Amino acid sequence: MTLNIVVCIKQVPDPKHFSEITMDPVKHTIRREGIPSVINPCDRHALEEGLRIREKFTGKLVVISMGPTQALEALQEALAIGADEAILLCDKAFAGSDTLVTSYVLGAAIGKIGAFDLVLCGNETVDGGTGHVGAQLAELLGIPHVQASNIKFIDERSLTVKMPIEHGYLDISLKLPAVISVTEQINRYRLPTVWAIVEVAGREIKIWDCEDLEVDTSKVGSDGSPTEVTGIFEHKFKRRVEFLRGSPEEMAKQAVVKLRQLGGDMK
Amino acid sequence: MTAAKSGEVWVWAEQRKGRLMTVSLELLGKGSELCKSIGSELAAVLITDKAEGLVKDLIAHGANRVYVIEDVRLGLYQSDAYTTVMGKLIEARKPEILLIGGTSIGRDFAPRIAARVHTGLVANCVDLHIEEINGKSQLVLVVPGFGGKMMVSMICKTRPQMATVKPGLLTAHQANPNAKGDIVKVEAEIKDDDLRARTIEILEERSAERPVEEADIVVAGGWGMRSAGGFKLIQDLANALGAAIGGTRPAVDEGWIPKECMIGHSGKTVSPKLFISLGASGAVHYTTGFTKSKVVFSIDKNPSAPIFDVSDIGIVGDVCEIISCLVKELTVVEN
Amino acid sequence: MDFSFKREQEILRRTVREFAENEIAPRVDYFDEPGEFPFETAKKMADLGLIGMTVPKEYGGSAMGHLARMIATEELARVYTAWGSHHRGFEIIPYLISTYGSDQQKEKYLRKLCKGELFSQLAITEQIGGSDPLGIQTTAKLERDEYVINGRKVFATRGEISDLIGVTAKTGEKSISTFLMEKGFPGFKAGRRERLISTMSRTMPINELIFDNCRVPRENMVGVEGKGLGPVLGAVGAIGRTGGAALCLGTSIGAFEDVLKYAKERVVAGRALSSIESIRFRLGDMAMRIDIGKLLNYKTGWLLDQRKHPREITKETASCKLYNSELAVDVILKAIEIFGGYGTSADFPIIRRMKSALDAIAAAGSNNIMRLMIANATVGESVA
Repeated sequence: MTLNIVVCIKQVPDPKHFSEITMDPVKHTIRREGIPSVINPCDRHALEEGLRIREKFTGKLVVISMGPTQALEALQEALAIGADEAILLCDKAFAGSDTLVTSYVLGAAIGKIGAFDLVLCGNETVDGGTGHVGAQLAELLGIPHVQASNIKFIDERSLTVKMPIEHGYLDISLKLPAVISVTEQINRYRLPTVWAIVEVAGREIKIWDCEDLEVDTSKVGSDGSPTEVTGIFEHKFKRRVEFLRGSPEEMAKQAVVKLRQLGGDMK
Repeated sequence: MTAAKSGEVWVWAEQRKGRLMTVSLELLGKGSELCKSIGSELAAVLITDKAEGLVKDLIAHGANRVYVIEDVRLGLYQSDAYTTVMGKLIEARKPEILLIGGTSIGRDFAPRIAARVHTGLVANCVDLHIEEINGKSQLVLVVPGFGGKMMVSMICKTRPQMATVKPGLLTAHQANPNAKGDIVKVEAEIKDDDLRARTIEILEERSAERPVEEADIVVAGGWGMRSAGGFKLIQDLANALGAAIGGTRPAVDEGWIPKECMIGHSGKTVSPKLFISLGASGAVHYTTGFTKSKVVFSIDKNPSAPIFDVSDIGIVGDVCEIISCLVKELTVVEN
Repeated sequence: MDFSFKREQEILRRTVREFAENEIAPRVDYFDEPGEFPFETAKKMADLGLIGMTVPKEYGGSAMGHLARMIATEELARVYTAWGSHHRGFEIIPYLISTYGSDQQKEKYLRKLCKGELFSQLAITEQIGGSDPLGIQTTAKLERDEYVINGRKVFATRGEISDLIGVTAKTGEKSISTFLMEKGFPGFKAGRRERLISTMSRTMPINELIFDNCRVPRENMVGVEGKGLGPVLGAVGAIGRTGGAALCLGTSIGAFEDVLKYAKERVVAGRALSSIESIRFRLGDMAMRIDIGKLLNYKTGWLLDQRKHPREITKETASCKLYNSELAVDVILKAIEIFGGYGTSADFPIIRRMKSALDAIAAAGSNNIMRLMIANATVGESVA
């Protein structure tokens, strides 16, 4: 019994270089040139989990990504890591898409790929950080969704997962097909070997646009997105210390209140 | 601001094991403000197996109305069923705004709802306010991007306008035991199909020793702690906060903490929500280890210590004494 | 001119960087200490496919090429110079055998080298005869089917842990031959550790090698008797020098990143160090020189991948090694200056980089020999 898996990945600016990202003061857009790009770290865990599941059950693992042509490098890396096939979803019309539209496009691609049993993605990206796509993709595909820090297969169709919550987890049981958003704790991911990097160097990566995917151009991009960005500003981060005053007991009281206010997440 | 009577502002009242999550109460506080701006009413949506006791609390914290969906199958978060319930209620009542607490469950639930009713959702907002845009009252949401380097303001073109906010950012209003509000009981109307991913149980555990770089709160001590006894106080504070312990190189050299807890250029780099520095003057090879923390709170006896150049809150005084007061204050608050 | 790397080269760089940051960076203190050589890390490098990057696929290599090899060396050195140095060292014998070895030698050794089952190194230098390869004193005499070798080598990096060693010996008055010595051959011994500044650490054993009537089967000679210098100079040119250039470049980049971060965070008299003009000039200079180092290295790697024989590009291989080894010491010294009191402290281990950088200067040919090579290639004969 084989399990066909689709892994969704996103190419993002390397989080180690976030401090170098600047804003164009005139156009009010983000300047990302020169910032190296990587596969979103959480998606690496998703790909790893997919490879382990494939090793267990056999089947095909396809990696897809919605992005500009630059994302071909991320997909080539995914092939080197072990994916069987990689597809780029790329169209000028996709620019400015929010998470709901992204899920719509990914869903269309999965529909075109055909029969699948499991979709895996990282539960959060380092740049957007919304964590929406997994849940929304599942909703549009009409299948269940869970977040998981641990996946246990009972047989090829039934599984239980642990969904991490504050101070613990939920134990959830479900049947495939499903979308699972994995968290970084789920595994330690492998690196591609040099032999694999060389082997996949010439391999074809399909590119699908709106026409290939049969998606409505009016439903994608910033026009098709229900959310809209109205402004971006740089947040110059400099701490200004506020000294508390009074007796030690008074200062302690003030500190607890202040930290609550600042979102310091104290109990 | 007199618009025609708007749809309601809703807050999802998250409950776990029969207790309301504080973030829901915090959102009711913000919800009240938003209602004033757009001239509408505040409602809480409660999905639970046992509503008793919770409804009153919601009204006391500002809800004019509570929609109660009580069903024995819905005590634990069931993503499909909860989405169906919320989706149907939204279709029926057409709220203007829906706010959801950004707990791990809230962040799982909200996008599903948004996709179910085809509306926009903005996650992890740090600010929410109403603005008139093109003659329409819009909820404007501000979110941090690229690790906090950028701030992005966003709106939802569709209705309900949905947003999640992380716990601790907002403040709940004082509970008013005399507040009045009405209760609307709603039938769950869920089928077997709505329980495809079934939550079987909720398991809570006091986190085992988490490595310092994974903790949400870090308490770090330096040379100013003066002794291993001083570090025992740090342990007390860490316990009271559920925090991980760190320290400077001198603390490691003295044997007060193991090497894995050292913070700084030659040690670990941490970026917790809260970093508390105790009795460390703030040499740059130490402070470089925690510059990305969300909030830095420092205590030292020297008012010109460089640690205060990189702190948000500072206390000058006897470190051990202040820690004892903090521990006392925290245990009082807990009870 | 297209100055961009190929996609697979970018993927390789990212992969080696991640490997270095996960496997090497957290253990640098451990690597600095005296003790057992960290074989686990060397084995992990082999498992990733980092050994044999110029070895054909049929013999277990990846054949990814010289530029890729140099990128890998650079990324390892960026985190910990000694591992860049070992990557360079591990790649010499595989290249030597692939390029100059017999089919039998290729069959016997290459796959095992690429898998990390055998570790190797090249040993040429002797007390007399380092910069002057013809000046060596070790002898090799043919006795029936074996060569009997007598002599000593010095400064053999990883001598005591190598399983396979390339050794040069005199088979006649002006005749040098090269042999593949297995550590188990009778009469071979790794001697005492040299006391160099970098050898205090477990990661850098550098030894004397002793050949006392050491018997080597005749099929272990590389190439033809008396023509041993060609292969060895080829390997030193293609791998030794360019690898040295790469590890020095990686060291410079690592040191620059350290000091840049420090300068941005360190506040003196109310302003960050990096806002002071004189410091900005220093940092800008470092960045420019590192860019020059990159261009020299990457072009040389590219030339080798274009199938240029190392002897055709002596100027390039010598230049990148000379420039980058001097640059590494310069960058580190200037960084130490900016670090001020912390320059030699254990809290900001820039001094650790200096130890390895100083040793790297001599390896694969002293810089004055590099200068001679460049001059010979450019100035040519005098007319007067």
